[in-house]
Amino acid sequence: MPSTMPIARAEPALFGAVAAAASALGLGIRRNLANWPIMMGRALFYLVAMLVLSALWDKVAAQRLPGTLAHLLPAGGLTLYIGVTEWIALSVAAIHLRLEDDIRFGMLEPHLLRPKSYLVQKLAEAMGDSLGRLIGIGAAAVLALVLSGRAAPSPIAFVYVAVLGIFGTAVGVLLMTLVGLSAFWVRRVLPPYLIMQKALFLLGGLFAPISLYPGWFYHAAIVTPFAATLFVAGDQALAPSLAAFGRGLAAQLVWIVLLSGLIALVWRAGLRKVLREGV
Amino acid sequence: MAAVRVENLRKTYRYARRKPGLSGLFASEVRHIEAVGGISFAIAERERVAIIGPNGAGKSTTLKMLSGILEPSGGAAEVLGFVPWKQRRALAYGIGVVFGQRSQLWTELPARDSFALLRRIYDVDLDTFRRRQASLVERFGLGDLLDQPVQRLSLGQRMRCEIVASLLHGPALLFLDEPTIGLDITAKAAIRDFIREHAGAEGQTVVLTSHDTRDIELVCDRVIVINEGRIVVDQPTDQLRRLFLGHRLVTLRSAAPRLDIDLPGVKRRASEPHLSVFEVDTGVSRVDVVVQAALALGGIEDITIEDPPMEEVVRAIYDANSAR
Repeated sequence: MPSTMPIARAEPALFGAVAAAASALGLGIRRNLANWPIMMGRALFYLVAMLVLSALWDKVAAQRLPGTLAHLLPAGGLTLYIGVTEWIALSVAAIHLRLEDDIRFGMLEPHLLRPKSYLVQKLAEAMGDSLGRLIGIGAAAVLALVLSGRAAPSPIAFVYVAVLGIFGTAVGVLLMTLVGLSAFWVRRVLPPYLIMQKALFLLGGLFAPISLYPGWFYHAAIVTPFAATLFVAGDQALAPSLAAFGRGLAAQLVWIVLLSGLIALVWRAGLRKVLREGV
Repeated sequence: MAAVRVENLRKTYRYARRKPGLSGLFASEVRHIEAVGGISFAIAERERVAIIGPNGAGKSTTLKMLSGILEPSGGAAEVLGFVPWKQRRALAYGIGVVFGQRSQLWTELPARDSFALLRRIYDVDLDTFRRRQASLVERFGLGDLLDQPVQRLSLGQRMRCEIVASLLHGPALLFLDEPTIGLDITAKAAIRDFIREHAGAEGQTVVLTSHDTRDIELVCDRVIVINEGRIVVDQPTDQLRRLFLGHRLVTLRSAAPRLDIDLPGVKRRASEPHLSVFEVDTGVSRVDVVVQAALALGGIEDITIEDPPMEEVVRAIYDANSAR
């Protein structure tokens, strides 16, 4: 055997896989820091969006227009709700674009020649990227809240929102991963991305809580992964409660498991296609 | 012991093509394209082999099958004792791959960050990693570049980082796909020297594909020529060099409409007015002697020295082989 034969691996395979994923997660955070001008731009966009949306919702809430849902809106609370949902929406890393690049343009090959799962590494990187965004945009959100002079939610609401925000972002990353994996079969991932984005707007409650919808629509929307991404965290800014927090977290964990399984199946089918037909 | 053993390896791609006219909306015909048509060869440990051929010859398909990222349609192969397409991940610990046209580094970050992640991906222990990285970085003079984002490096600097990245886990077999493409002469020379020296010192087996005949001459002991999915020639480089690789093209732009150089081993090719192309058999006349003879004629405005295009070399090999 040559002296350079594969190095002995003392670590168990699972430990090695976790260590590699943790390293990829750290790399995702570092990449976010390296691209700090983009992060600044994202935070600025968040502030501008909040300025516009809060002015709009404050106006709607103040008018209490008859025949509309305005009477259901908690005074001032919607701005906090949108602050949370926008924070999550802007923090979900664009993993679909990276997957599309790799799959469509042959960049997958160097990754497949490595001993660790490409998909797990990419997901860990995207989560690292998302964590960086959550911290950066989260800081901008808190700063904006302080500067606006609005009443802040209770400290426990911040804890609930932070936890559900992180897990909601994880669900969002998994949804975008499914969009990215469609590149195995479609020429561009933009159409599936647009469908996913609109579903997040509508069923996730990006601009208004789904609790404002008619009952049947609310009950349909609340069981989707879109509500687990945005609404369950945003709802804690409106009416924080331990019971709702527990239900929301459970829903997010269920969706993380289900989506992970679905992603594994889709990835396996896509990989099979690539290994048979080439890139 | 053979590092690579291939027997009757075949790959046929199938693709659907829409029928013309209205019927094409509902039906398509399936076509088959044979990319590799039953090749067999073995590569011994520590051997450095070039697989060459014109575009579409089947060499990339062969490399993909040998590295495990493409399943063959038939035949068998064993690389470092593994069946590549069945044991891709296990094989990955033993091979290093460099793609000249694709980066395996995280370009927004310094190469140091990519190297650290690769250590985790390949489960290299910290001491071994530090030792290997220090030695490779010193050999390649990358010390000052490790902390710069890869996207700010020149192509030559990036390629040196790519090669270091592919060697950090100490692979026994190195696949190099066009490793010097797009590089300047100095960078090409540095990379060729390094690959030859490093592979020799570490006992690595090298499989290289390139369109640059100098890569083949200076790095490899043996050349396998593939054309239309079949092996045309499998010979030691020395033998091939004498027959086909020892030629250079010298192009002279001159004030005079036509130049003639009367030296043994120098043939004039079809040329345009004021542009004369000479094919030099370097085994008979040295290129510098030809250039001196040209300068002595006077009125030379520009000189270019090139290898004959790979397509031409392969065609010559193919023709010579067919004539036997």
